[in-house]
Amino acid sequence: MYISCLKTGKSGCLNYSLKHYKFMKKTNMNVTPLGKGLKIPVRNIFVRAVIALMCLIHFSALYAQNNGFTIKLQNVTLEKVFDQIKAQSSYTFFYEHEGVEKTKNVSVDVKNASIAEVMKQALKTTIYTYQIVDKVIVIKLARAEKKEKASVLSVSEKDADISGRVTNKDGIPLQGVNVLIKGTMKGAVTDEDGKYSIEVTDNSILVFSSLGYSQKEIAVGIRKEINVILQEEIAELKEVTVNAGYYTVKEKERTGSIAKVSARDIGNQPVNNPLEALQGRVTGVEIVQNTGVPGGGFELKIRGRNSITSGNESLYIIDGVPYDIGTLGSRDVSGTILPGGNINPLNTLDPSSIESVEILKDADATAIYGSRGANGVVLITTKKGYAGKTSLNIEASGTAIAVTRLPELLNTEQYLQMRREAYSNDGYSQYPSSAYDVNGTWDQTRYTDWQEKLIGGTAYNNTVKASISGGNEQTRFNAGGSFLKETTVFPMDFNYRRTTVFSSFSHNSADNRFRMTFTANYGTDKNFIPGTDLTRVSRRLPPNAPKLYNDDGTLNWENSTWDNPMAVLESKYRNSTRNLIANTVLSYKILKGLEFMANLGYNRSDITETVANPYTQYNPAWGLTSESSHSIKNENKRDSWIMEPQLNAFYEIGEGKLNITLGSTFQEQNREQLSLLASGFTNDYFITTFSAASYQVVLNEDRTQYRYQAIYARVNYNLKEKYIFNLTGRRDGSSRFGPGRRFANFGAVGVAWLFYREKFFMNSSWLSFGKLRASLGTTGNDQIGDYQYLNTYTINTELNYNGYLGLTPSHLQNPLFAWEKNRKLEAALEAGLWRDRLNFEIAYYNNRTDNQLVGIPLPGTTGFSSISANLNAIVENSGWELSIRNLNIQKKDFQWNSSFNLTVPKNRLVDFPGLAGSTYASQYEIGYPLSIYKLYKLKGVNAETGVFEFEDFNGDGIIKSTDDRKFIADLTPRFYGNISNSLIYKNWNLDFLFQFVKKQGYNEYYYYTAAPGKMSNQPIGVLNHWQEQGDQAEIQVYTTGRNSNANTAYSRFTTSDGIITDASFIRLKSLSLSYRLSLSNTGPGYLQLYLQGQNLLTLTKFRNGDPEQLTAFLPPVRRISFGMRIVL
Amino acid sequence: MKKLKNMYRKAGIILTIISIIFSSILSTSCDNFVEPGEPVGKVPQTKVFEDEATATAAVMTLYGSLRDNVMLTGGFYGMNVLMGFYADELDYYGPSGQSIEAFYNHQIVASESLVKSLWNEAYSLIYMCNSAIEGIEESPNLSSSIKDQLKGEAQFIRAITHFYLVNLFGDIPYITTTDYLTNMKVSRMATDLVYEKILSDLNESKSLLTNEYVSGERIRANKYAVSALLSRVYLYLQRWQDAETECSILLSATSVFALESNLSEEFLKESTSAVLQLKPKSEGENTQEASSFLFTSGPPLNLALRPEFIEAFDPLDMRKQNWITEIPGQGGIWFAPYKYKLRENSGTSLEYSIVLRLAEQYLIRAEARAHTGDLPGAKADINVVRNRAGLSDTPASTQAEILQAILNERRFELFTEQGHRWFDLKRTGKAGEVLSAVKPNWEATDVLLPIPEAELLLNPKLLPQNPGYN
Repeated sequence: MYISCLKTGKSGCLNYSLKHYKFMKKTNMNVTPLGKGLKIPVRNIFVRAVIALMCLIHFSALYAQNNGFTIKLQNVTLEKVFDQIKAQSSYTFFYEHEGVEKTKNVSVDVKNASIAEVMKQALKTTIYTYQIVDKVIVIKLARAEKKEKASVLSVSEKDADISGRVTNKDGIPLQGVNVLIKGTMKGAVTDEDGKYSIEVTDNSILVFSSLGYSQKEIAVGIRKEINVILQEEIAELKEVTVNAGYYTVKEKERTGSIAKVSARDIGNQPVNNPLEALQGRVTGVEIVQNTGVPGGGFELKIRGRNSITSGNESLYIIDGVPYDIGTLGSRDVSGTILPGGNINPLNTLDPSSIESVEILKDADATAIYGSRGANGVVLITTKKGYAGKTSLNIEASGTAIAVTRLPELLNTEQYLQMRREAYSNDGYSQYPSSAYDVNGTWDQTRYTDWQEKLIGGTAYNNTVKASISGGNEQTRFNAGGSFLKETTVFPMDFNYRRTTVFSSFSHNSADNRFRMTFTANYGTDKNFIPGTDLTRVSRRLPPNAPKLYNDDGTLNWENSTWDNPMAVLESKYRNSTRNLIANTVLSYKILKGLEFMANLGYNRSDITETVANPYTQYNPAWGLTSESSHSIKNENKRDSWIMEPQLNAFYEIGEGKLNITLGSTFQEQNREQLSLLASGFTNDYFITTFSAASYQVVLNEDRTQYRYQAIYARVNYNLKEKYIFNLTGRRDGSSRFGPGRRFANFGAVGVAWLFYREKFFMNSSWLSFGKLRASLGTTGNDQIGDYQYLNTYTINTELNYNGYLGLTPSHLQNPLFAWEKNRKLEAALEAGLWRDRLNFEIAYYNNRTDNQLVGIPLPGTTGFSSISANLNAIVENSGWELSIRNLNIQKKDFQWNSSFNLTVPKNRLVDFPGLAGSTYASQYEIGYPLSIYKLYKLKGVNAETGVFEFEDFNGDGIIKSTDDRKFIADLTPRFYGNISNSLIYKNWNLDFLFQFVKKQGYNEYYYYTAAPGKMSNQPIGVLNHWQEQGDQAEIQVYTTGRNSNANTAYSRFTTSDGIITDASFIRLKSLSLSYRLSLSNTGPGYLQLYLQGQNLLTLTKFRNGDPEQLTAFLPPVRRISFGMRIVL
Repeated sequence: MKKLKNMYRKAGIILTIISIIFSSILSTSCDNFVEPGEPVGKVPQTKVFEDEATATAAVMTLYGSLRDNVMLTGGFYGMNVLMGFYADELDYYGPSGQSIEAFYNHQIVASESLVKSLWNEAYSLIYMCNSAIEGIEESPNLSSSIKDQLKGEAQFIRAITHFYLVNLFGDIPYITTTDYLTNMKVSRMATDLVYEKILSDLNESKSLLTNEYVSGERIRANKYAVSALLSRVYLYLQRWQDAETECSILLSATSVFALESNLSEEFLKESTSAVLQLKPKSEGENTQEASSFLFTSGPPLNLALRPEFIEAFDPLDMRKQNWITEIPGQGGIWFAPYKYKLRENSGTSLEYSIVLRLAEQYLIRAEARAHTGDLPGAKADINVVRNRAGLSDTPASTQAEILQAILNERRFELFTEQGHRWFDLKRTGKAGEVLSAVKPNWEATDVLLPIPEAELLLNPKLLPQNPGYN
């Protein structure tokens, strides 16, 4: 059988690949009808409603059919006739034999005739007959058909009909799967419900094959029904579907920028938070971990910071439910241990329960999220059950955790030398009585490595997980849970515990018209950690400071000469968070090509956190009692629901396929917070019992509601599988804006050209895939907080008067402010070479956000210093993203894949009217990134005076912050990326990823506000200091503070470029080695042993500890994990 | 099997119907859906003025702001301290380089943060007054007597705030709306026009308020308080007859007001001299004035009274003994204002900050009478104040002598109270003559503070800057 569709490139046959084509060439198969064509009787209200909805998007002529053919041709080739038919309709042709189209002496003369009539006339004089399958006209030999039928009949005594369904592992029916009887010419193709039927004999073997899936052979035996599950072929990455939120799309056919991280990459890392697993993996995505303490926060930015003062958070969607990533923690309670009180709500989602994370970056992918898409979208999909044997998965692991790198500090000898020199410089003849470190009060031979002592411990993590999944074609389930406990690197016994449970259940009716999926994820964690991070104090304590404990085990205060750092551990922080995400998706296929869906979701998160500060954290010499103890408690909860009805329609129109999605969103979120301070307890035993306190005050009480509504649509047209147009749009309303300003429209257009399907490349031996895609569109941002537009009064107890509560106007009312608009542009080239062994994708993006929602500075005569309004400032994020993937080796027992990612981002403030006169003047500069710092420019140490000198930018002889902090330092990365490798040898598996970042950061002096010479330890670099006239040194003269010039100069130094250094690094971010042992020869059960590591090795010149984190909190940690997994 | 199939089909159809109906209902009421529920901790402006208690709270907050934030505050950045430094009352002892030192040294520049905060806090309070006035006027629920009372108080506070602004900065915008689009582009208004507005506010306030002190204590403005301020305004405007009329209203209300015979009780909360006081935030607290001025041992941390001022007192003047305290310390003896004596929480509050008091009314009337030629009447009023301080009748006899005597008397009676000394020197044209002797950096242009630099950058319509600043 010869199929000409590859030549003509018509639709309807492009489902067949080259491989397929070869296969069909040697077989003679019965092509079962793909369907009955598209007839939509306008017979009921649903369809009317659908059509009415369709009209909204100016969609017409969809149902235009050919009224009839008018053809007049004499003595021409069949090809000419077929050309006419194609010109007047959307029919395409299949030829079973070569040369059909060359048949001569054909005549047709019809007016408004049906296709049947045309074909009858055309084939009248030929040896052919025809059959119409969907929109395809198959031309066959008239005699052959009869002959074959006869031959089949002749051996049909023992033949029986066998039927069944072919699905993928998710139970989704596979259409177009070839079902061939091995060794014969007979076969069938599955229909859209995955069904097939074929006549076989008992000893037949059926071969099931489909592009993107591994071939499967099954002996028929005496069965009447054979249902098959085909496994996806991993190598065929381009056939993999990616989740785009409201729809899915084949990797190959996507028009937008969507990066996918699969379960495998996430599961290979011994981390607690899914965002940590994404770190360094995805182009255009920058993730910073705020602290190495468990249960802390993360910052994720997709393609840079777009907004000057409004939120820059991406939109998170977990299984269809929007998930507020804002912390529920309070700075008042946890700010000294978890930076900014930031507790990432994703902490309670077990990374191993995630099937995939998709990151939507460009307009084409994000515009369907409208007002919330400006900062990109993170879609998290959790694992679902598969049809097949019920499988049990048990996993246990143990992890050792320690800090990665620490700065080198002075030892006792060096430190005391510095101190003595400082006193001598400052002209002291004898040491002051308070200089305990040098005046003999403290032992001067004592040495403690305080970093080692306070943050150098080893923490342990123990994790146990179990899950069970299974099901059949109609019903599938997956359920499980995990428990982990992690200690800290600080002294004493602190720990973080997390329990998660998840379950998913899906069901579809036998005819596949009705489907439902229910998913629930519940996580709870309890964090018990010190009230204060010890990192800062560990770097400042003099190395000869006294011992921590007295011989009797009590804290040593060394006669009140120091603040014992262990005392702050008396202050304890506890939190407990709970988090539920539940979601139901229902869908019903109303008609062929038309489906109704509803996504219903609920999310609830809450936290209770308490910090207890007992009086025992203070030196007993103060004589304090539990009356001075105090604690702060924060209770914060958030719940939200979402409802999204949606219609999906699929049509074949002309030579293309049209996909339409139309839906709407209703969402509500409520938040309630109450934080309290209590002090004065009769006994510290009651320190967290608020009713036992003699003084209580409400610090904050807050309740807000956010409501959100939208309609969205997507129209996707795929012409000849070569040209793809994707239009998305959303009309959004947010309660964060005033009446009349709430709604806005967002939309995008994306196009893709799969040029490798053009004739020119058709026979290329090297190009196996090629696509050019581009997108343009707008998204928005409403992250300004609730109720800003309202004219409200705020309770201000400071201004209480005569027993009345203080009530002050909250802010200037501006009912006019509206969405921040983000315009995104992207162009990309994707290609696969040498049969997709080498794949690459290169993208350029340019995003501009204008209409910036900022506090516009106002003169004081307005009563306020600013007003929330849209300012005509423009922020631009542009950059290049490159990813390359190569299959280095593929042999039977050995496979080696490598990939390389690179992102070169650029952030720029393009315009900011009135910047110079505004309060933002010291913070931003036009033409520079938003993340700059304006600093003094260090000229070096004056060889005469020994004091730091700075550039006097305006030349007035005075160094002044307003005039001379003109040096601009930018700490955002210049470029970043990774190189990763995956090796499989027999049962061994090795994965490792190197992350690299080129950037600047704060050097080791950033921590030290005390000038060298004062009673505070210093980095080793201060040894290179000025001592006498003429010295060329890095660091200025030591002073105890009496040298006021040096003192002032040092404070300027800490806000100069002297604290900026190169902080680039290359890091072995993750490594995973595993061995898999089959437990039986036949079953799928196996035992897997693994060794995993995180942040294992860092190559950098950076001297201030870990280069990834720049604050004075515990940096990210190194983890080494050993684990075992049993799958039964 | 077929049954099940039908069931699915039905379920699907029903679901579809429900969803379509539901979404069409919701879609038609789009705007309703995205209307959020009300927040907690915040109250919509309209709600505040719907109810008597919250409307009153909003107006009470105006006093709270006067007490804590705006020029009349007894805190360190109020007129008491700032203009005490600026004139010849206080010496500066704080750390060098502080913003406040510029007031003492007369080295104020337009970018001075203190100048900016004086300006901004005042206009912030004015905004609150305007917001309250608008809320009260639009309120459908409040009774007319409450409306009159609250509006009268808000207008009084708006007037007194503008009064200080115009005296510190010269020509200023008089703001009577909350509309920021108007307020961000306002121009400066000539001083006499500002005064016209002040008078108009005060007169309206006077017509709205009654003679009663609404809460019993003298902590909310009433008709008398308005008259007391009006008389001061007329004095500054040199409208002598009007000033005398307003003073007489208070001075004749002998059943309400009487000078405390015991000077040490003048500043207690029960003081019969008080016309208007500001009550501390919570029970037991006393005044911020006491915290600002008093220190326990020398040398002073921030400030002390100038030695010349102490020397200028008549040795018999009881005010020196009652209202000034001697603080010994290492290297000498210092003097601090001691009108307010309680720094600490006293369980029950004993002292309130006085904004307007009767003694000033005597001195205003004396000055008005001296100008209108009623010299005996003027002397009589001066003597009331002198006699209470244990001094004999004034020896002054000519009009010029009497006016000088009044100026002196004001100096000793009203020292470190809301900048009286400075404003007296300024309005009588004697600032240069008196201050150039004690302030080396004195310049004639120092009679006005600069308009804050940031203000001119953000609203060039406020240009030009006051002379002497750039």
